[in-house]
Amino acid sequence: MTRSWFVVVAMVVALALSAIASAESVNYYSTSSWSAGQGGSSSFSSSWFMNIIAKSSSFDSTITFIDNVSYSWHSTLRGPGTYLSTHWLSSQVKKAHCRANVAAYSSTSCAVRS
Amino acid sequence: MPRVRKRMVVVLALALAGSLLVGSVVAAQRGGNPPDAAKVEAAIAAARMTRVADVAGGEGFARRGVFIQELDTGDLCVWDAASASSPDRQGGCNSIDEPLGGSAVSANLAYDGGPAIENVRDARLSGLASSSAASVVVLMSDGSERTLRLKPLHLDAGDFAAFGFRFKKSDLRSGIGPIAVIARAAGGKELGRQATGIGG
Repeated sequence: MTRSWFVVVAMVVALALSAIASAESVNYYSTSSWSAGQGGSSSFSSSWFMNIIAKSSSFDSTITFIDNVSYSWHSTLRGPGTYLSTHWLSSQVKKAHCRANVAAYSSTSCAVRS
Repeated sequence: MPRVRKRMVVVLALALAGSLLVGSVVAAQRGGNPPDAAKVEAAIAAARMTRVADVAGGEGFARRGVFIQELDTGDLCVWDAASASSPDRQGGCNSIDEPLGGSAVSANLAYDGGPAIENVRDARLSGLASSSAASVVVLMSDGSERTLRLKPLHLDAGDFAAFGFRFKKSDLRSGIGPIAVIARAAGGKELGRQATGIGG
């Protein structure tokens, strides 16, 4: 009985460690029709470090990280490219945010990586 | 009965063809699918970084570089980075067939702090312009202009000019920020303009 509990605990710990070690990628916002100022955000996490927006056509957009204390923007990037990415190498708790600065029809996906 | 069934088949076929046509028109309007981010990331990790311009240091900040990458996905990327190997980078990509996105200038604005401009600690501009541009300036919110130093850039995709620029802290603290990047011909004629700016 004791040995089987030990095996279970060891497996749980191993699973937890492998989950922490593996990189996570989350698509947090997708749309194909944008109005100016429209956007979306990921959940908060201390492990996010890379924010990406991928668009089917070029339009003026912004990606950034927002911390959960002052709600300041960090490593913000504004540009027209069909693929934009920014990195914030900080252990602070943060969420990724993407937004359009103009109205646009473009199949778009915003993703965050850990 | 067979005639009714035949009509139903024809009606269904027409409805299907119609919906496919409408779907393809909508997809074409929206430019198809976005690039596969994982594929682009893999290509970025494999491609060589070439420094094409500088972002000045000073006021407590280290000098940075403007780098380009030609990806095997057919994209051209422009990065503002601490060094060629640094993960501390911001930038983006466009199709190598149209690296300026159909304009005479394509610029990325990177900044830290804000979104209120007075709270921005550092703001930088990096990008490319058409080789026909004699000058590229940043139009500021007070109406003044900042002239960017252009570096000639020869690629298989054509000739361009690369630029990097760091905004002065005194401008940002005073609430003065960029609102547009303008490419001009030798005679002063405007070739292209890209809106930009800090915050929402």
